[in-house]
Amino acid sequence: MGTLVLCGLAGALAVFALTRRRLLLGVIGVGAHSLALAGVYLFLSAPDVALAEASIGFGLVTFIFLLALRRSGRLVVAAVECFPLLYQEGDRPAGLEWEILARLGDRLHREVHVLWVCRGDVSGALASGEAELAAGGFLVRSDPGLRLSRPVVPTRLVEVAVGPGRRVVLAHPCCEALAQSGDLRCEEPEELARALCSGEACRAVLDLLTFRELGLKGAWPEENCAIRVLEDPLAYRFAVALDAAEVHQALEELLAELEDRGVLADLVRRYLG
Amino acid sequence: MEAQGALALAIGLVGLGLWTVLVRRNLVWKLLGLNVAGGGAILFLVALAHREKAGPALEGVPGPHVDPLPQALVLTAIVIHFAVLALALVYVIFLSERRHTQDVRKLEETCPTRWPES
Amino acid sequence: MKVLGGLGIVGLVVLLVWLTWSCFPLGELPPWEEATAAWGSKNAVAAIVLGARLWDTLFEVLVYALAIAGVALAAGSLGTKAVLPPLPETPLLHLAVALLLGPIGVFGLYVAVSGHLGPGGGFPAGALVGSGLLLLALARGTRGLTPGWAGGAWETGKFAVTGAILLLGLGVLVLGARGEPVLVGLNVLIALEVALGAWVVLREFAHVRGEM
Repeated sequence: MGTLVLCGLAGALAVFALTRRRLLLGVIGVGAHSLALAGVYLFLSAPDVALAEASIGFGLVTFIFLLALRRSGRLVVAAVECFPLLYQEGDRPAGLEWEILARLGDRLHREVHVLWVCRGDVSGALASGEAELAAGGFLVRSDPGLRLSRPVVPTRLVEVAVGPGRRVVLAHPCCEALAQSGDLRCEEPEELARALCSGEACRAVLDLLTFRELGLKGAWPEENCAIRVLEDPLAYRFAVALDAAEVHQALEELLAELEDRGVLADLVRRYLG
Repeated sequence: MEAQGALALAIGLVGLGLWTVLVRRNLVWKLLGLNVAGGGAILFLVALAHREKAGPALEGVPGPHVDPLPQALVLTAIVIHFAVLALALVYVIFLSERRHTQDVRKLEETCPTRWPES
Repeated sequence: MKVLGGLGIVGLVVLLVWLTWSCFPLGELPPWEEATAAWGSKNAVAAIVLGARLWDTLFEVLVYALAIAGVALAAGSLGTKAVLPPLPETPLLHLAVALLLGPIGVFGLYVAVSGHLGPGGGFPAGALVGSGLLLLALARGTRGLTPGWAGGAWETGKFAVTGAILLLGLGVLVLGARGEPVLVGLNVLIALEVALGAWVVLREFAHVRGEM
C-alpha cells in the first residue's frame, strides 16, 4: 500500500515538475520527485539503491542543476514603445535602446525577452519581479524604488506655445513635477496633440523626443509655434529593479564601455539624426 | 501488486521524460526530462527485481528475498548518471556562455560556420 | 516531426507495457545465500558489485572518473570572467554545518565499512560524503577549502582519474580474491573515489557559476 502511495506521489511530482513554465520550479519539483522515488526503492526492498538515490538524486543532482541555472535564463525587460528609442519592427523589437539591450544580453549570457507595457505599469512590473529592467524613454530623475543607469541619451523638456492659454502636461514623472493646478494631463502624446489641435489647450510641456516624433507625424497644429527650453538637462536612462544588482552593474560597465569606444555617439547619430 | 504499480510508474516516467526531451526547446529542460526518464529506467529494473512480500537480499532476513542482480546494476548506474549529467550541464553552460542562448532552435538558426574564438 | 516523435513515445510505452505484462508471473529465484557467503559477505548486492561483477564495477568507476575529468576540462576551458559577490555571512548555516559535518562523515564511513554486512556500500557512502561536502561548500565556499596542491581546474580532475586508475589496478590485483578485508578495502576506496568526483564537480560548477 505504502509503495502505491509513494508511486503516486512520485508520478504526480514528476508531472508537476515537467509541466511548469519556470525552470526553477521544474528543478525543485524533480528534486522532490527523486526523494519520493528513493522512498519507493525503500519499499521495494532495495535499501542500497534508496540510499544512493536519496543522496545523489535529491542532493547533488538538484544542486548542480540549480548552479547551472544561476546567471542564465531570460532577462525580462519591461518596455514602453517610444519611437526612435525602442519600438516594434514587425514582431521584433528595434531602436537605439534595443541595440544596447541586445549587447547587455550577450554580456550577461541571457536571452532578452521584451514585455511591452504601458508607461504606468513599468514600476509595478519592476517591483513585482516580473521584469528586471525597464526601457523605452525613461525620464525619471530619481526614484527610491528603482536603480537608474547612467545617462544614455541626453534630452531636455520644452514648452511649446501656440498662444496664451491653458497648459497641457504630458503625464510623465518628470513633466508632472512641473504641472500646476489647472493644467491638463495627458497619458499619450497623441492625446496631447489632439488637445492642442482642438484648441482645448494652447501650451504644452513635453520632452524633446516626443515633440520631434509628433512633428514628424504631422500631428502638430501649426508650424510656427514658440518653443521654450525648460530647466536643466535631462537624459533617457534605463531603470533596473532594486534586487537586480548584478544586472545594474553589468549595464553600467557596458554603457561606460560604449561611451568610451564612441559606439553610443554613433548610435545616437544613426537613430536620432 | 506493488511491483506492477512501480512498473507502471517507471514506464510512465520514461514516456514523460522522453516527451519533455521532445517538446521543450530549452536544453536544461531537456536534461531535466532525461533525468526523469533515467529515474524511470532505474525504477523499472528495481521493480522487476521485486517479489511478492520479499525482503532485502541480506542474510538473516527471513522470508523470500528480492533479486539482488538488478539492484547491483542500478547502484552503479545512479552514480554514473550523476557524473554524465554534470558533464552535459557543463556543456550547456559552455553553449550559453559562447552562444548566449539555451534554446535549440536559436542555436540552430545562429549556427556559426566555424567555432567562435574565445 | 513532433507528432511522429509523440507517436514513437506512445508506441514505446505500449511495447514496454506489453512486454512487461508477458513476463508476469515472475519466476522463482535460485538460492544465493551460499554464493554470497563464499565471497565473505552478508549483503548479496555487495557480493555481486565487489565479487562476481568486479570488472563491471571497476570500469564503471573509470567511466565516472572520465566524466568528471570531462567536467574539469570543459569548465577549465571556460574560465571565469565575472566573479559574483560573496553571499552574506550566515551564522545559522555555519553552526548547522559544524554540527552536521562530523555525523555525516562518520555515517558515510560506517556505510562504506559495513557495506558487506548490511545495506550500504561504496557508492552510497561516496554520495553521502559528497552531500556532506556540498553542505560544507554551501557554508564556507569551495575555493578556500581546496588545498594548494590541488589548485587548477584540470589538476583536480586529474586526481579523480588517477584515483580511478589506481583503483582499477588494485581491483585487477584482487580480482577473484575473497574475504572481508577485500570487500571493506574496495568499498572504502570506491567511496573515496565517488566523494572526490562529487567534490570536483561542485568545485568546477562553483568556479564557473560563482560561489554558492
